[in-house]
Amino acid sequence: MEIKTTETGDVSVLEIQGHLDTNTSPEAEASINALIEGGTSKILINFATLEYISSAGLRVLLATAKKLKATGGDLKICGLNDTVQEVFDISGFSSILAVSASQEEALASF
Amino acid sequence: MIRELSRPRLVWDALILLLIVISSVLVTYQFAFDQAGALEGFQFLYLIDLFFLLDIVFNCVTTYRARGVEILDRKQCTEHYARRLLAVDVLAAVPFDLLAWVLIGNGHLLGGSLVLALRLLRLLRIVRLFVILKRWEAFSWSNPSVLRVIKYFVSILLLIHWLACFWFYSAFAAEFPPDSWVARAGIQGADAVSQYVRSLYWTITTMTTVGYGDITPGRTAEYILSGFIMLMGASLYAFIIGSIASLLNSIHAAKNRHWDRIESVTEFLREHRAPAALNEEVRNYYEHVWERHRGVDRNQMLDDLPPPLRLSVLLHLTAKIRHTVPLFKYSSELLRDALLTSLESRTYTPGSLIAQEGDRGNSIFFIAEGTVEIISVGNEKSYGTLSEGDYFGFMSLTLGERRTASIKALGYCEVLILNRSRFNQIKEVFPEFSAVLKKVSAERSEQLSELVMEGIVL
Repeated sequence: MEIKTTETGDVSVLEIQGHLDTNTSPEAEASINALIEGGTSKILINFATLEYISSAGLRVLLATAKKLKATGGDLKICGLNDTVQEVFDISGFSSILAVSASQEEALASF
Repeated sequence: MIRELSRPRLVWDALILLLIVISSVLVTYQFAFDQAGALEGFQFLYLIDLFFLLDIVFNCVTTYRARGVEILDRKQCTEHYARRLLAVDVLAAVPFDLLAWVLIGNGHLLGGSLVLALRLLRLLRIVRLFVILKRWEAFSWSNPSVLRVIKYFVSILLLIHWLACFWFYSAFAAEFPPDSWVARAGIQGADAVSQYVRSLYWTITTMTTVGYGDITPGRTAEYILSGFIMLMGASLYAFIIGSIASLLNSIHAAKNRHWDRIESVTEFLREHRAPAALNEEVRNYYEHVWERHRGVDRNQMLDDLPPPLRLSVLLHLTAKIRHTVPLFKYSSELLRDALLTSLESRTYTPGSLIAQEGDRGNSIFFIAEGTVEIISVGNEKSYGTLSEGDYFGFMSLTLGERRTASIKALGYCEVLILNRSRFNQIKEVFPEFSAVLKKVSAERSEQLSELVMEGIVL
């Protein structure tokens, strides 16, 4: 897994590549937490290059959304491929996490 | 048109059935014991005839079944009746005795009155009796075994009555010679009723092989007749006993099979020294299955049915959960039907595990009845319950991960299972399936996300 972080205005955009599973989730969570602790309240995660997500990855997303909500921030997600989209749909997360089709759309919705 | 299996036809048939028995008993009784009465006796038989004449009219416009299809065309129905039973019914219903009386007066036939002999034509109504009983077998409420019992009893009672009449008539036709059984029993001058009772008594003792010997044949004809009745009685006796035994068995066939199964399972468990509690649990399971399925293997029964019929049965069986299980509620009719025919039903006993921690999920489980608990066996923690209409198993199935908790049945549970290949198949054929699942899971997103937060994959 690899995480690329860029800043677009006041939004931190995270691009997660490869597998977000039990092994890599702690690392992803740590870098997200570092961002939040650094004062970021608006995070957009772009999954365009994500290949696989496991339940541990889903947990990180839920935990992040919860944390940001508590501090008045927001988490948005975009670029889901078909497999990941299905996981989101079937687990009910596409209704509790804000999912957009493209990065532009997601940025505009903050 | 009168529908073959309609209620009015049923009531009419029941009346006709009763009249058949009454008239066939009376005409033979009168012929043997009440020749003196001739045309004046039992005049209400003509009233009964009216019913049978009316029955012929009704039969002409009653539908019939050919190759499982009810024929409703009037012309076809009338033709069908005319070809098969019209002639017999007319012979049995038209009062030819009355016609003969009017045209040629009373004469002699078969050693008795011509008019009374012609009255015997009404015995042909017995044919209609069997037609009615056969029709009743097609009723869904009728129990074939019970109908068979009725048929046996009516046939046997009628046969005994007819033989009694014949036994007496054999002596009457010969004008009671001194060696006839009637003369030797000294009842040739007695009233008709006591003659009938004696005759009936002799027939029953002979047919049941009791044969007290107080009434015995005297003439050659009587010996021949006695031999014939004895032979018939002995074989009929064996037939009746055998039939009644098998009927009693078949009335409770399913229940008996159920008890047989419990008995052999208990025997097996005892042989393996299973503890009493386990034995009890197994018994309870069979009782529950009996209560719910009446000894029928639901999945196998459904497999036996042709697909359209299977679907109709499934739609009926799932009528309740179709409105409670969100999956069915949101599906189009086509998708719902595809799902119903793909689901496999299973029963779980209280305390049994429906899905186990550590398993790789291969199916989605829909709870049709009962409540289940999400538990982690390792740290003995409960993560709440799921009940009727809820489902689980898709996380493990779609993510390809092992379950991190088990699902335990709290009471008896009926669960519908959709396996992976069927799941994928349906997803491929019905693109709307994903949207339906999305809608369904959105309703429970809170509980689902809580489970994911706790690290629970089901």
